[in-house]
Amino acid sequence: MLFAPADLTDAELELQREVREFLAEELPRGTFDPGLGMGAPRDRAFSARLAGRGWLGMALPVRYGGHDRSAVDRFVVTEELLRWGAPVGHHWVADRQTGPIINRFGSEEQKQRFLPPICRGELSFAIGMSEPEAGSDLAAVRTRATPVEGGWVVSGTKVWTSGAHESDWFVVLCRTGDSAEDRHAGLSQLIVDLKSDGLTITPIPFLSGHSDFNEVALEDVFVPDELVLGAVGGGWAQNTSELAHERGGPERWLSTYLVLEELIRARPELFEGDPARLALGDGVARLWAMRRMSLSVARMIDAGEAPSVQSALVKEMATRFEQDLLEQIQELIVLEPLRDGDSRFERLLFEAVLSAPSFTVRGGTNEILRSVAAKGLGSL
Amino acid sequence: MSEWLLVDGARRLLADTCTHEVVQAAEAQGWSAVVWDAIADAGYGSLAELPPADALAVLGVAGEHAAPVPLAEALLAGWLMGEAVAGTVAVAPENDLSLRDGRLRGRALRVPWGHAVEHVVAVVDGTAVLVAVASAAEVERRTNLAGEPRDTLRFEDAVPEDARPAACGLLERGALTRVALISGALTGMARLTVAYAGERRQFGRPIAAFQAVQRHLVDIAQDASLVAAAADGAARVPGPFEIAAAKALASSAAVTATRAAHQVHGAMGMTQEYRLHHFSRRLWAWRHEYGDERHWASQLGGAVAAAGADRLYPAITSGSEVV
Repeated sequence: MLFAPADLTDAELELQREVREFLAEELPRGTFDPGLGMGAPRDRAFSARLAGRGWLGMALPVRYGGHDRSAVDRFVVTEELLRWGAPVGHHWVADRQTGPIINRFGSEEQKQRFLPPICRGELSFAIGMSEPEAGSDLAAVRTRATPVEGGWVVSGTKVWTSGAHESDWFVVLCRTGDSAEDRHAGLSQLIVDLKSDGLTITPIPFLSGHSDFNEVALEDVFVPDELVLGAVGGGWAQNTSELAHERGGPERWLSTYLVLEELIRARPELFEGDPARLALGDGVARLWAMRRMSLSVARMIDAGEAPSVQSALVKEMATRFEQDLLEQIQELIVLEPLRDGDSRFERLLFEAVLSAPSFTVRGGTNEILRSVAAKGLGSL
Repeated sequence: MSEWLLVDGARRLLADTCTHEVVQAAEAQGWSAVVWDAIADAGYGSLAELPPADALAVLGVAGEHAAPVPLAEALLAGWLMGEAVAGTVAVAPENDLSLRDGRLRGRALRVPWGHAVEHVVAVVDGTAVLVAVASAAEVERRTNLAGEPRDTLRFEDAVPEDARPAACGLLERGALTRVALISGALTGMARLTVAYAGERRQFGRPIAAFQAVQRHLVDIAQDASLVAAAADGAARVPGPFEIAAAKALASSAAVTATRAAHQVHGAMGMTQEYRLHHFSRRLWAWRHEYGDERHWASQLGGAVAAAGADRLYPAITSGSEVV
């Protein structure tokens, strides 16, 4: 069995209830425009209030400002935030992946420097992996760090960097050495200040017209030795581990959930008919079961396992579901959505249609995920 | 017995017993005394006395080995009567029976192994009626997609052995048994298909090395895992939400996973000489039994819509506690 059965404990259900109460008070339905899953807007003040409740950096150690809680606790909080459409943009990357990888691979100094402000919801991170010639094939990165007195000088170009213009730092995967035999050797991760001299951020308009995407050009950017994350040359293994944090969580099935919820709110009469009931029933059944699989992944992480095959299976399936759900909804209604449409449902649908292609690409394309999963199926 | 011991015991027993030849022979003969006797001797015939989750876990193992015996029937009959039924028993999923003055008239339809079992349970106006097959006026053999008997039993003023208010809903609990069987069969089919793709060589390589084939393998693994998660959820909390969701997913996956598995197997899967059909044909049959994916999705969608938008997500996390 690939996925062990998983349910929430009473304590975890209590946490779920607390988060629901918090959100109902902080962001009452109808008083804000919800976002679509992890693509929701940034709100520094909201992130700070979450931190005040102890809901950022939950699984990080107390001595660095974290809360020593479990991956499942973080799952419970994240799930509620996303399904509510809460503005998670400011802390999202730092809370999900940068905090955990700094905690795992970083030096004591790095942990003391970065983890407490991440847990307070202050520092925001972006992801510096992709390049024009290195999308799915990350080992092809060309950004190069050259050793100099006291550190490294970095040159190269990162693209499709979400939120770079509004974030404080990003973790850059770059080449620090060459190896004829092994492309995966000689890669390293550096923590780079996005306000560094020599660093230029240029917006790349996203499908929806938003300017969340960026190109980040680095031209002889100096990065001191103390900001090398983990081992020089250990970047590939670390990056793979980082990607595992990106996969299998609630953000992979909740990107279009709110469109469905708003459709029920906006057009209840639609569900007197069988086509809408069928689509809703199918969607709800899938959400219910995929959630159980995803929870099982979080339990495996808490048990110290490395569920990379399971995460890939979940992400590949769930992101296709996010797109399918949107199609099913559009088959039920006759509406070409407008950006500034009258109803919240119409505005959400507009955003969802224009961001849907990213669901099966970001964090590893479905083709890559299938390959990762297929290799692990022998142990089925 | 703990759930693990129970399931592990069933797995060893059925792996040894349900060989390709035995399952093949069961289809030809319409009954497998070998398999049933092994199961009954080990005490699995009285599954209804176990907690539902344990009983369903054993049923999953039966699906995983395509066990050609009415084990799900024994469980369902016991649930309907409120206690395990002694001997061999099947449940009529449909009937046009009437019960008047203690006399049973009409037909029990699509009865699994109806010709071979000793008793049949049918639900007539909310009453679970237990009747001896020997008291039927006529037994007409019918066969389903899987080559399993689904017989018609006609009664003319038969006297039931027992009649009492049905202790559970026939459609829901029947669906729950099929969810367990489908989940097990998907697991068995996934394992068989992954192994085959690793062994079968074409163009000088195992076909599992081809991305186009890998895609099918991943689809099957996802279907099997999704249904396993659903089956587990419904077994733990067998409420209306969980059963509807699980059967909708199980029936839907039965279609998509068999298609992928057959495609991977190519011509090998088209013969009865190879084991795949023991899974795929049962999946096609169980898909329809006790409500197909459309029936249950529509049922679930109606219930969830009636509960309203604010309760949609709580329903997804807590199921029948909310809806």
